[in-house]
Amino acid sequence: MGDKKKKKSSAKTLQTAREAGNFGKKILASARTAAEEGKPIAWSMVDWWLGGTIAKAMGVELCYPENYGAFCASVRRAEPYLDYAESDGIPNTTCGYARNCIGYTRRLQENNFVIPQDAPGGGMPKPLFLLACGAVCDARYKWFQSLGRYMNVPVWTLEFPQTGVAEYYLAGNKEENIKFMVQELREFVSFLEKLLGKKMDWDNLSERLDTIFKTHQLAHEVDILRKSVPSPAVNTDFWALMIPHLYLPDDPEALEFYKRVYEEVKYKVDNKIGAIPNEKYRMAFSELPPWHTLGLFDEFAEKHGIAFVIESWNYHAPSPLPESEREGITDPLELIARYSYHKFNESAPTAKKYCMDPTIFTAPYLKWVEEYKVDGLFCHPLMSCRPATYTLMHLRNLLMEKFKVPSVVVEGDIVDLRVFNEEEAHAKIDAFIETMDYYREIRRKEGFGW
Amino acid sequence: MTVIKGLARAEQIYQDREKRAKELKAEGKKIAGYLCCYPPLEIMTSLGYMPIRIMGEMDEPLTEADTYLPTVMCAFYRSVLDVAMKGRYDYLDAFIGAHACDGAERVSYVWRSYLKSPCSFYLDIPHTNHAAAIEFFKKQLFYLKEELEKTAGKKATAAMIKEAVTLHNKQRSLVRQLYELNKQDPPLVSGSEMLQVMIAIMCIPPEEGNVLLEEVIEEVKGRAEGPKKKKGRILIWGSLIDNIAFTKLIEDCGLNIVIDDTAIGTRSFWIDVDETEDPFDGLAIRYLDKIVCPRTFRDTKNTRMEDLDNRFSYLKKMIKDWNVNGVYMNIIRNCDIHGYEISEVRDYFEEMGLPVLVIEQDYSTTALEPLRTRFQAFAESIN
Repeated sequence: MGDKKKKKSSAKTLQTAREAGNFGKKILASARTAAEEGKPIAWSMVDWWLGGTIAKAMGVELCYPENYGAFCASVRRAEPYLDYAESDGIPNTTCGYARNCIGYTRRLQENNFVIPQDAPGGGMPKPLFLLACGAVCDARYKWFQSLGRYMNVPVWTLEFPQTGVAEYYLAGNKEENIKFMVQELREFVSFLEKLLGKKMDWDNLSERLDTIFKTHQLAHEVDILRKSVPSPAVNTDFWALMIPHLYLPDDPEALEFYKRVYEEVKYKVDNKIGAIPNEKYRMAFSELPPWHTLGLFDEFAEKHGIAFVIESWNYHAPSPLPESEREGITDPLELIARYSYHKFNESAPTAKKYCMDPTIFTAPYLKWVEEYKVDGLFCHPLMSCRPATYTLMHLRNLLMEKFKVPSVVVEGDIVDLRVFNEEEAHAKIDAFIETMDYYREIRRKEGFGW
Repeated sequence: MTVIKGLARAEQIYQDREKRAKELKAEGKKIAGYLCCYPPLEIMTSLGYMPIRIMGEMDEPLTEADTYLPTVMCAFYRSVLDVAMKGRYDYLDAFIGAHACDGAERVSYVWRSYLKSPCSFYLDIPHTNHAAAIEFFKKQLFYLKEELEKTAGKKATAAMIKEAVTLHNKQRSLVRQLYELNKQDPPLVSGSEMLQVMIAIMCIPPEEGNVLLEEVIEEVKGRAEGPKKKKGRILIWGSLIDNIAFTKLIEDCGLNIVIDDTAIGTRSFWIDVDETEDPFDGLAIRYLDKIVCPRTFRDTKNTRMEDLDNRFSYLKKMIKDWNVNGVYMNIIRNCDIHGYEISEVRDYFEEMGLPVLVIEQDYSTTALEPLRTRFQAFAESIN
């Protein structure tokens, strides 16, 4: 038991990935500094650059409770917050990030909103408002609403339509979705202007958008480089590198950093240097990782030569917005709406091709297995995060049916170490090696390209 | 030949929920299955579809669901897909999925990937009741109408939809009349009878449902032997219940279920559609804004108390009007939209001095019996 509770982080294979954690520290430190200076702070859900960019352009410093949950889990200090949330009536089946945040907020309230000394990573300061998001899961607005028990701050919920595949192709529907998103973003700007007592800085917003597009272009190119065999980077690298591109892509420092990431990965590709020394199997990972035990993947690499070549659709930057969608758009809110909608729907053609739903969490993998020459899928159903789990069985059916790619299911959680069995994960992967060998042969016989 | 009417007829329909739909299908009528209480029935009715609410089956062991859905998801929606994959809804001419909650959304996607109906529509439902959200929802309803028209072989005019609004509003009015009868002590209708009636009218054409409701109202008004007076007059809040094994268990423990705030109950019928010039205005406002379910976010108010009242004051009215003295908060395991609401709603009820019982349950009749002692203890706690 003592060993199990030891910190088990990944060594990461890229130098830049080892440095990327500094961006997480920067987020928290900047928020605390802003709080000390009396500047506005908000807690924000990941919103795929929809509202957070606008808030930042208005001078609001953002903290990300989901990222904070992942951080607390990675240093194995989430459990006390989980327990504290559950003891106030929050079911232990709700999101681990949420329970971590609810427990933290309860502590913060009891400490008169002075960050407790023992808060992991220095803690998050009390926000002026909460920025919720309707994309992907109900928890990401219900959880912020539930914080009203501990602090009386307004919640703004960003609308993010979820379009079915057939409906995406209905005449005019895509534009209706974009129009709705733009209207809602305009309402959000009004909300901010009223709350902050100042006008929107549109130039600042446009500059930030420009930086986002540049940072994401590089992040996307890094994703493309990762198709190489051997893979120049693996999942544990990505889960560190995602901090700058998911949370801070509008930060010039993140852009500069991503130039170095690109150079490092490109060098490895040009020189055929694999992320792991002896790549034998290429796996994909879906969807959210066990933040508390990322070192597990280093062990799989060492023991079996498994390189996790692609993972976590929802954390990736999308492909660049097509010129046809950017052309003539002068309203930055429309550009933001188009870009975020593009992130969620760019796999609609793939979904249509295979007559399946949804575009999110599922269709991207149908492209990736071929492009990344995937031998197997690691499915990680989460005890507390259903939205990232709902379609995993569906995905494994599709990969087997369409591509003869097998999958292994290892249950766990993003935050809650108490429900993760590391030994079981090893046992399942040990057995899965043979399965991947078998299906490689099947794919070869059936004429697949890998 | 004896004609079965009223409560007996409701029980008959409840026991064999798809029977009437299949009979009508055999006669050439089209059937539209829908998830949750958000797809407007009026659009289906106006185009000649018989709407049928898609439900799970608490009595049915899950044997297919695991192939398509993880065990950690909403037990109700796992059951919905399980029975669908076993063919229960193969006769549907139209499947209308809905973004009512995460469970409904993802099951809609998975359903459509494997089960192909002649017409299939995924209704996106915004998360807020903002003006832009209502306008967007209205557009989505228009798309739904157009898709249904393709297989209906006809167009729905505004007049046809208005007519359907009148028909369904009549049903809502009758449902409210029925619930009114439970303001008495003892109530005139048991919770189990009420559930049978609610399910029955969701499984037959609205015209027949209205006749059934009128029969039931007449019958219970004049009955000598209704529910017995009990110590507890409770409100059920939360996730839906669609099996009387559950309500019977509760009622066996010394509790009368007099009112509910659930999706197979008042939430589906409490509010009318306004008869607006453009019927889509009335439909969009009613279905997105006026149905009060935790899945719809309502903007935060200035003070905590204002915010809670904005979200829950209708419950205060129900408590007062139905003279409720205890609340059972029913959570189907892994139901997030109700799960996050537990603490706030519980506090709200307790502030009113009401005893509250919260249970997360597994949507399975085999898992009900262990709950008996909890309901018995709860009944004891009610003064």
